[in-house]
Parts: sequence; C-alpha cells; structure tokens
Amino acid sequence: MSADRILVVDDEPQIQRFLRPALTAAGYDVIEARTGAEAVKAAATAAPDVIILDLGLPDMDGKDVVAKLRGWSTVPIIILSARDRESEKVAALDLGADDYIEKPFGIGELTARIRTALRHRLRADAQTERVCVDGLEIDTLRRLVARDGEPVRLTPKEYDLLVLLARHAGRVVTHRTLLTSIWGPAHGDDLHYLRVFIGQLRQKIERDPARPAIIRTEPGVGYRFADEL
Amino acid sequence: MASSGTSKDNRPDPDVLLAEARQHGRGRLTVFLGAAPGVGKTYAMLSRAGKLQANGVDIVVGVAETHGRAETAQLLDGLEALPRKQLEYRGRQVEAFDLDAALTRRPHVIIVDELASSNPEGARHPKRFQDIEELLAAGIDVWTALNIQHLESLSDVVAEITGVRVRERVPDTVLQRADEVVLVDLPPAELIERLKQGKVYLPESAKRAIDQFFRPGNLTALREMALRRTADHVDDDMVDYLKRHAIEGAWASAERLIVCVGPDALSEKVVRTASRLASGLNAPWIVVSLERADREPADAAPARIDALFKLAERLGAETRRIAATDFVSELMKLARREHATQIVIGVHVRPRWLSWVRASLADELAARGAGLGVHLVTGDQEEPPSFVRRFRRPDRRENLRSVMIAFSSVAAASLIAIGVDRAIDLPNVSLLFLMSVVFSAIRAGYVAAFLAAILSGLAYNFFFIQPLETFVIASPHEVFAFFIFIGAALLAGGLASRVREQARAARARAVAVQSLYDFARKLSGTAKAENVLWAAVSQLHETFGKAAVILMPQDGELVLASAWPPDADLDVTDMTAARWAFERKETAGSDTGTLPASGYQFRPMTSPQGVLGVCGLKWDGRSVDGVSERILYAVMDQTAIAIDRARLAEESIAQAAKLQSDNLRAALLSSISHDLRTPLSTITGAVTSLRQLGDRMGPESRNDLLATIEEESARLSRFVANLLDMTRIEAGTLDARKDWIDVGDVVRAAVERCARYFPELAVETSAAPELPLMRGDSVLLGQVLFNLLDNAAKYAAGEPVRIDIRTDEREIVICVTDMGRGIPANDLDAVFGKFFRRGKPDGRAPGTGLGLSIARGFVEAMGGTIRAESPAFRRKGTRMMLRFPIPENGKEAAPQ
Repeated sequence: MSADRILVVDDEPQIQRFLRPALTAAGYDVIEARTGAEAVKAAATAAPDVIILDLGLPDMDGKDVVAKLRGWSTVPIIILSARDRESEKVAALDLGADDYIEKPFGIGELTARIRTALRHRLRADAQTERVCVDGLEIDTLRRLVARDGEPVRLTPKEYDLLVLLARHAGRVVTHRTLLTSIWGPAHGDDLHYLRVFIGQLRQKIERDPARPAIIRTEPGVGYRFADEL
Repeated sequence: MASSGTSKDNRPDPDVLLAEARQHGRGRLTVFLGAAPGVGKTYAMLSRAGKLQANGVDIVVGVAETHGRAETAQLLDGLEALPRKQLEYRGRQVEAFDLDAALTRRPHVIIVDELASSNPEGARHPKRFQDIEELLAAGIDVWTALNIQHLESLSDVVAEITGVRVRERVPDTVLQRADEVVLVDLPPAELIERLKQGKVYLPESAKRAIDQFFRPGNLTALREMALRRTADHVDDDMVDYLKRHAIEGAWASAERLIVCVGPDALSEKVVRTASRLASGLNAPWIVVSLERADREPADAAPARIDALFKLAERLGAETRRIAATDFVSELMKLARREHATQIVIGVHVRPRWLSWVRASLADELAARGAGLGVHLVTGDQEEPPSFVRRFRRPDRRENLRSVMIAFSSVAAASLIAIGVDRAIDLPNVSLLFLMSVVFSAIRAGYVAAFLAAILSGLAYNFFFIQPLETFVIASPHEVFAFFIFIGAALLAGGLASRVREQARAARARAVAVQSLYDFARKLSGTAKAENVLWAAVSQLHETFGKAAVILMPQDGELVLASAWPPDADLDVTDMTAARWAFERKETAGSDTGTLPASGYQFRPMTSPQGVLGVCGLKWDGRSVDGVSERILYAVMDQTAIAIDRARLAEESIAQAAKLQSDNLRAALLSSISHDLRTPLSTITGAVTSLRQLGDRMGPESRNDLLATIEEESARLSRFVANLLDMTRIEAGTLDARKDWIDVGDVVRAAVERCARYFPELAVETSAAPELPLMRGDSVLLGQVLFNLLDNAAKYAAGEPVRIDIRTDEREIVICVTDMGRGIPANDLDAVFGKFFRRGKPDGRAPGTGLGLSIARGFVEAMGGTIRAESPAFRRKGTRMMLRFPIPENGKEAAPQ
C-alpha cells in the first residue's frame, strides 16, 4: 500500500518548511500549495487523501476553497486556524470541512487528526453497525445502547444525536450540523436544544457526567465524540 | 398653554390622568379661601398645622401674618418658623420670605400666608404665588391663604360691587390647580361684629375704604363668590374622580368657548367675562385675536394684544392669533376645528345708521354661525371712532417731511396753474391742485394729504377765485365750488394715503418674509452648529435691532454659545434668568414675571428633542410686538431645527469615524496576532516534529528544522523588540543619549548587522570626506538604519541599496536609496504611520508595519527629521532621507 498523500495549503514558507520533513517522517507523501487556486488545482490533479488548509490565503478566502472543493470532492479537509478567527473556522466546518486544528499546534495532534480523517474516509463506504467506546456500546442495527452491559434508555432524539456524533467519532461536529440534521433546517440556531439534550445524554452515558469523556465540548464550535480512549 | 388640568369634554379622558402624572412628584397645594380679611384664615391654617405636627408631620411656617392678634400668635408657639430674609430696598431693610431657605430646608409642608401679596423688589419673583409655584415644583406641600377678591377673574366684579380696586391679583389657575380648597367662612354679621371689636387687622390703605368695603351687602356678595368658587373646586374634584375611575355619567360638559379680542379697551372685560363663563360651564376656552391681514396693525395694538394674552393665559385660556380678511369664515373654521360651542365677542354701542352701512361682526356671526351660541359683551362707553387711530402715528421727522412735501407740491401746482392760466383759459384749473393733494398723499401719507388739501384750497381761492389775490370769495356759487373742491381733495387724499399705508404694510410683511427666507437659506448652507448659532444671533440682531445672545448647555451648565455683538456680557441675574428659562421652558428676564431685573429677556429654544438652549434679547424698553414675536419664534424654531440637524450630522460623522477606527483596530489586531503566531506555530511545530519524529528523519531534515527554530525565534524577538520600542516612543519614555557619534561608524555597523540577516542584499556605501561628528545615540541611529535596510531588502527587488552620507549647509544628510517599486505619492507620509504596510492583497505584509514609525520616533528623539522621496531614480525606487543638525563645534570635534 502506497503512502497516503497530504496536500498542505499555506502561504507561510516557514510552516511549509517544518511540515514537509515532519509529515514525510510520519510516513506521508507531502504536496504543497501556496494559494487557493494552486490548492484547487492540486486537489484535482494529484488526488490527495487529506487536505490541510490554512484559512488565510493571499488570493482567496479559505472558506471559498472549501466550498469549491466540496462541489466535487469528499476528500477530508483539516482547517488550520487561529483562535481569533472563530467564526471563520465554524463557517468552514459548516461548509463541509471535516476538522480543525488551532495554531500553534504540535505535530502529534496534527497526525492524530490526519489518522482520524483517513480512517473515516475508509469507513465511509460501509455503515458502522457497532461502536464501542469506554464501556459504551451502540448497536445501530438493533437500536440498542448499553453502558457496561446495562441497557440505557434513550429518547428517539437522544438516540439520533448520539448516533450522529458516534458516526463522526474523533471529528468535530458543528452545532449547526447537529441541529439541522436532528431538529431540521429551521432550528439551525436553537443552541439551547443542544445544551439540554447533550446534558441529558451525558447523564445517561458518561461515567462522570461532570467530566465528560465520551462527548467532549469544542467551545464555540460543536461536539466531538471520543474516538479511542 | 393647556387650559387647565381638567378638560371637560366627553371623550374618554386621558388629560386627567396626564395631569395627575404631571402632578406626581409635585407638592400639594392647599388654599384656605376666605370671603374677606378677618374671617380667620391664618388662625384656621395654624391650628390645623398644630394638629398635624402633633401627628408627627414635618411642618414649617414660612410666612404667617398674625397682625398682632394674640390668639393667632399663640398658635405659632409650638411651630418651627423659617427666619425671614433681610433685603435692602432703597436704603431701608425689608423683611421677605426666604424662598431659598425653604427649598433647602425641604419640609413636608410649608405655610406661606397671603397668597396674593407681592414680594419686595430684589426678591426672585415679583409675586408670592410664583414662590409657591417653585416650592410645589420642588415637591413641597404648601398651605396658603387667599381672599376671594384677589382672584384675577373676579377683580372687576369686586371693583363693581365694592367700589374698591384690588391691586394685588392672583391668576385663577393657581386656585384651579390647588389640590385642596378649605373654605374659612364667617357670616357677614359676625365679621362686622369682629371688625367693630377691632379684631380685624386692615392695612393702612384699606382703612380709608373700610366703610365702603365692610358693608353687609358687599360681604354677602363676596361670601357668595367664595362659596361658589369652593363649590366649583369640589365639583372639579368630583369630576376628576369620576373621569379617573372611568365612571360614565352626566358630568360631561361638552362646552368649548372661543373668545374674540382686539386691541380695544373692551377686550379685557371680554376676557374676564369669558373666564367666569368658562369656569361656570367648566369649559375650556380659547382666546383669539383678530387682525386684518391686509393692514399693518397700529403701533400700540400688538402690545395690548400681548397683555391680553398674558391675562387670558393666567386665567387658564389657550391663545391664538388669526390674521384674515373675512373674520367670520375664519372664526367658523376655527370653531369647527376646535368643536367650539360658544363664541364670546365684545360689541360697542354703535349708531344705528352704521349698521345699515356695514354689518357688525356680531350681526354676521349671528347670521352665519349656525349652531353656535354667541355671547355679546357690551362696553360701558363708546370708544372714539377709530378713523384716525387706524393710521400709523408718524414721528416728528416724518411730520416735517409731510409739511415740506405738501407745501412744495401745492406751490408747484400753483405755479403751473398760473402759467397755464396765462397761456390758455383752462376752466377747471382746480384739478391741478387735486393732483398735488394726491401726490402728497402718495409720497407722504395722510398728514401731508390733509395739509395739501387745505393749502390747495387756500391757494386756489387766492389765485383763481374772484376777487383775485385775496382770501375773500365774492359770489355764492364760487363758495359752493370751493367747498366741493376741499371735500373732493380730502377724500382723494384720504384714499391715496390709505393705498400708501397698505403698500407699506405689504412691504413690511414682504421684508419680514424675505428676511426669514434669507435666514432659512443661510441655515441650509451651514452644517456646523456654531455657524447656525452665529447666523441666528446676527439674524435676530438685524431683525430686532437689539443685542442677541444664545446660551446652550455644556456639561450640564448653561454657557454663552453665541452673541451679537460678540462682546455681550451677562451678569449673575441674567444667567439666573437664562437658567430659569431653560429649566422651566418659560420666558424669563426683563418684562416678565420672573427676574425682571435682568437686562435680557430669555426664551427657551425647543426642538422635537426638547429644550436645546435659550435665546436672549437685550431689553431696551421696547417689548417685542406681535409680528416681531412671530418672526422671533420662527427664527428660534428654525435655529433649533438646524442645530438638531447639525448635531445629527456631527454624530453620524463621529460614528463613521469610530467605525473606521474600529475596523482599523480589528485589522491591526489580526495582523499583530498573525505576526506573533506564525513564528510561534513554526517553532512549536518544528520542536514537536523533532521530538516525536526526529528519529525517522535524516540529519539534513533535523538540521533544517533546528535552523527554522533559530530563525523564527530571531524573527519573534525582533518583532517583540519593535513592539517594545514603539511602546517606549508612544509612552514618551524614550531617552536618547547625546553622545558625539561618528555617522560613518554607525552606518558601517548597521550594514554589517544587516548582512547577517539578509546575506543576499548588496549595500553600497559612499560618504563625503571629512564628515563632522554629530550629537546623538549610536544605538538608536543604528536601529533606524537597520530598519531602513530591512525595508529596502523587502522591496529592493534584488537591486543593490545605496547609502550616501554628506553634509548640507548645517546638516548631516543620510540617504538610503533602493531601486524597488517605490511608494505612491500620496503614501509618502503615511508610510511612517504605525502598522502601515504595503504588501500582499490580503492585508498581510512581510514586515511588522512598525519599522518606519520607529525610525521616525528615534530620529525625532535625536532632533533630526526623516522624509521619504519616491521615485528616487527615473521611475523606480525610494529614497529615505535623514537630516541631523551639525552642532556648533561639530567640525572641530571631528577627528583629524
């Protein structure tokens, strides 16, 4: 099996300068792009397996790059962003980016995100039927949820929410995505629904609901279902 | 002005609730009403006060007149009394009620006896009821006493009944607004008994009238009035109660009165009668002054109308002015609009024959005023016919001119007539004289016309009627012809002069309209508030010929904002009056009821936003008449609106500027955070890569990562140093040393340092021989040069950079020139601004945007200047030119 190919889109030469040797050493093929236009072209011609995309590009907005790519490609996109660009990051995720990582970041964190993204790409074909995390079992065929073997009773909405998060295990799911897929497009901004239902879910499935380990909060962005504990 | 708090129509009534809301926070007024002096008002008031105090109410005696009666004085014993204020008036000490002490003391209830009395000169208000009004406004309950004869609307009735003219009068509104009226009643027989026993105190002046006044008939009449007023008040209270609680009933009286007044003497009586009628009917009433639209009012008329309006407003009426040619239809329109039910007009006794010639207003109203009740108020005696008064009274100079014109025109007519008579036998030579009369009338008005008519008659007689050259007339038919001539001349002259008067009135109006129009145009061209104020005061000065000032609040304090003449000076009294006008939204100052000692009359300027300020006109003995007052208000309104507009414009500009600076700040912040974060990200990323994946990398990769870390750390430290330098410059803590430095040395060091950072940049240096030393800080200058070279390296596009050092007159000049793309002409100064960068389209630039502004800060700290020139060479390049002064002994200090 040949190495996975990663397209790094960033206009800062310094970033490219350390990412290339690091990702190469981690076992990936690295291709570089410095502008949005180059990125779209490289995505079309070089068929990368994951794209790492900086939001601030000289020629176009990173969000536009996401929108363009999502027109024809499902390749996982990981956003590189800064904390002061919160809203841009959420917008990019809502446009179809898969995950994000905040600058400055460690290489371990980045490679973990890349691995999650790659695994999901493989899983996209076969629907997950069983998820097993930290003693929590979800059986989507029989619609059963159990905590350490004990069945957990969930309302239909709670169940839908849990399954949606579990299907994206390891990746962040934005508030808007959760709200629109479970409550419908009209409720995209009704954050309080989520707060209530996530709270109830945690009471039922977490070992210590005060310190949730399975459903983690990404402040200002959404929730992330624990991938591996 | 609202008629009263209690409107009496049958609509569901918000007025009462509104009045109540307005009352909220105000003190309550209790009036002890009596029919005559001596009924025991003060006694009743004080004994009630004693009871209240026993119940723990905070009650203070402001003024109580015991008139030396022991039993009353006894009541004062247990009560706290406010000390009187000593005022100096014409050399003697006068005691007065101390309003300010009362306001400071702020009791729950204060007793201020004798509502109708006047204050001595020098007090804040001329009348005591104004003091009480202020106490109420301050939220203090007031108890006061009043004799019925002092009520404004009753003064003429009282005068008729008793034959005593009451001088001290109180507006009816004061009693109407009283929250409680306590009637202190004593049957007339008992009162007379008390009087006989000497128990009734009377002022010296009244003693003479004592027999006239204290007659049983009078006292009964006065008592009836007092009882009726109290009953009215009780009725008002009940109606208010019903309305407030939305109880339906027969209480609604839908009467509304319109009262027509003019400048004649009868009108005052009309107003007083109407006021009694209105209060009897519990009806709101509007006083309307009728003015002929086609004629300028006689001189005294506006002042009389103003006085009438003031009286009417005191009595609780609303006031309007109507200028029309057809009074009846205008009145009918107003009546329909206001839902009036009755019209009150004054009628003079007229000779019967006059009504055949012209119908009176009353007749016409009776004929056309369908559905309206018409009240006629008749005058006591006929005023002199107004034929003469209708014309303007000319002054002396105008009189002289009239005489001159009359004489000269008649003389000319005589000469021509004699000349013509010599040449041809003209039968009606008198027409020539008629012409001279008409000419005089048109040129100089009715005085000249009258004079010319007489003179013409005489001249005609003298020169053309047999026997000639005497004033004797021989034949009887000539006498007849002579009188016909005089009659015709007078008539023609009268008509012509009237045409002249009308033209004059039209002209005056046109001038007023024109000046308002000009003012409006001036205002529309000014966008700034101060220009608006300036235009307003100069307009007011031009229109009224008086000094004009405008005061506006600034930080809560009223200050002079504009004045014409510009050196106007306001003293303490003026400022107090101005503040009063501003706070109370009432006219104050000279010729008003408040602070008449002030040299100015202040009027509040209101806009939809509230009171903007006050406008003051210097008092010069002439009050502002009706027409001028309308102009004055028009000017003030326009000014207020223009100021509003100017303020809105200023606010929106400030808003836009703030928005822009907010955007700028956001861009700045994001750019700083980017500059800090990129090196940090690189370092973090490289370090974690080395730690976690280092063993899987080749040695070159590891080396490269380490080099990256080193470079980025240097970049970060440069940026932080720049930020710190900038902070030092901004904070003013930059302390440049004044050492002797060798510029050549400093330049060399900077170039060497630069070569370490930008190895690919070529720098050519040339220095003039025998450079003098300069005073400065070598570290700062080195940093400046480094920053300039750093910039050059970014923009030089691979071309070499030149540094030239030379002397120029008394300065050392250092030029750093690159061959890059240059700077656009309009950015040449902006490049020295903080965080200014020229770079990539996304707003990011390779640099920090601080280099040049730090350079400028350092250079200026060393007493030098820095300037950018572009293009430097042909159409490319930038030249940065530093100039430092050569110290006096700089040349000698140079090393040889």
